[in-house]
Amino acid sequence: MSPPVNRKNSNLYILIFIILLCTACGLLLAIVAYSLKGPQEAAKTFDQSKQMLIAAKVLNHQGEFTLIQEDGSLLLAYLDKQEGILKAVQDKKVAPATKEEIQQLAAWRIRPLLTDSEGNISTLKAHNLSLADYLSSNKGGGYATLPHKLFYAILSNDATVKNLSEEEVAKEMEKVSIIVIPVSGFGLWAPIYGYLAIQRKDADSVIGTSWYEHGETPGLGANITEAWWQKQFYGKLIFQEGSDGKTDFSTGEMGIIVVKGKVKDVFGASPKSKSAVDGMSGATLTGDGVTKAYRDSLSPYRNFFIQLRKEEGNGTQATST
Amino acid sequence: MVHKQLPLKHYFIEPLWKNNQVLVAILGICSALAVTTTLITALTMGIAVSLVTGFSCLFVSLLRKWTPDSVRMITQLAIISAFVIVVDQFLRAYFYDISKTLSVFVGLIITNCIVMGRTESMAKNVPPIPAFLDGLSGGLGYGWILVLVAGIREFFGFGQLFKYQLIPASFYASAENPDGYQNLGLMVLAPAAFFIIGFFIWISNSITKDS
Repeated sequence: MSPPVNRKNSNLYILIFIILLCTACGLLLAIVAYSLKGPQEAAKTFDQSKQMLIAAKVLNHQGEFTLIQEDGSLLLAYLDKQEGILKAVQDKKVAPATKEEIQQLAAWRIRPLLTDSEGNISTLKAHNLSLADYLSSNKGGGYATLPHKLFYAILSNDATVKNLSEEEVAKEMEKVSIIVIPVSGFGLWAPIYGYLAIQRKDADSVIGTSWYEHGETPGLGANITEAWWQKQFYGKLIFQEGSDGKTDFSTGEMGIIVVKGKVKDVFGASPKSKSAVDGMSGATLTGDGVTKAYRDSLSPYRNFFIQLRKEEGNGTQATST
Repeated sequence: MVHKQLPLKHYFIEPLWKNNQVLVAILGICSALAVTTTLITALTMGIAVSLVTGFSCLFVSLLRKWTPDSVRMITQLAIISAFVIVVDQFLRAYFYDISKTLSVFVGLIITNCIVMGRTESMAKNVPPIPAFLDGLSGGLGYGWILVLVAGIREFFGFGQLFKYQLIPASFYASAENPDGYQNLGLMVLAPAAFFIIGFFIWISNSITKDS
């Protein structure tokens, strides 16, 4: 069976052996990568819409639907497929949402839209763009720096809105309850990608945040994906108040600050504390990266937020809140 | 060859305890420290390493008569890395959440000393079936230690097993009850695994010495 020893040790034999081996391995990997590409992309896209719903507090980290109340508390909910809305459950238990339910809800409630630096809203279709292409070709540089910046409109939990097209939503922003801004930046080890969900009404206070791609250290920086850390974001303000307690919407600093340590130790009760969250011990550099990611990703949307505030009749001059 | 007289069972049983790669050969410690914070990741890692080692051994053994001695290590590595990438791609497609937490460590299976240890010391000398069994159980021997360590760490570090809360929330210290129970923070950090594995090695050594 086996080749004679002297032939096995000749250079030509070794060369041919290695070439054949590498070709076989390469072929195997190419086939595997090709045949698994579909499910991989699907898993990734699904995870992104899941994270977006988590940021918007429509889904919790246990995979159960939730309804957010005025005071920020969460009620467990189930999806009524007939009406197409979420309904709170009376008892404290609810089955985790299935994949189909999550996809269905995402299709009913999420609309990707674009805004320019003036704050005008348009649809992807109006610019002959497809969402998948837009997402993949601009991911590296972030969406905030583009002339047409991406945001997601999360429609209200209302049976009448689920059939609205993107064009209709772009014209009637009052049907939208939450704005989700894609956030990107650099963590300690690798780029980080996530979402920040903001109330449409005041275009200032945060609903929640989540991250769908990162390379942070498990147990330290990777805590940015944990529920207990993300919980602190509710009600924080993306327009930071000045030291006099007034918000300067047109020039003031934007973003959420991840402090080193606890907010109350760093900012006390000063106005800045309304835009700051506690850091994670052992992950100061991740926190810095996250702070920078929020600032850089939110600032280009400034006029969009100001526009939203004007539509609601909220002041955009430096006001005391 | 001596190996050929041994029953197939022997190849499967030996690496589970008597020749356990973690406890006896002290291999694969680095990943054992990293992925044992929770049971789910430890279990996935154990299965992944078992499959990679098993199939790598199978193919190394199939090619053993044609592999030139001077490039045998490279051959083994090429086979191992191919299988690691297959496992990684598979996890990414069907177990996305787990692959997100394991991502780095799955790639590092390539450098896990157990895989190369088994291919180099066993698979290249024996026929394919014993080689496969030996590789598979080499991985399983590593896996069960991992699961045990992770069980201890998850229970004391988070009060949970398989993400299921075991220690009731009412036991925990709160504003009203400051003297309540607290999770052992050390268990979440890598050094805890170091101590636990050291403890296991000590136990296994004293048992084997007695017999």
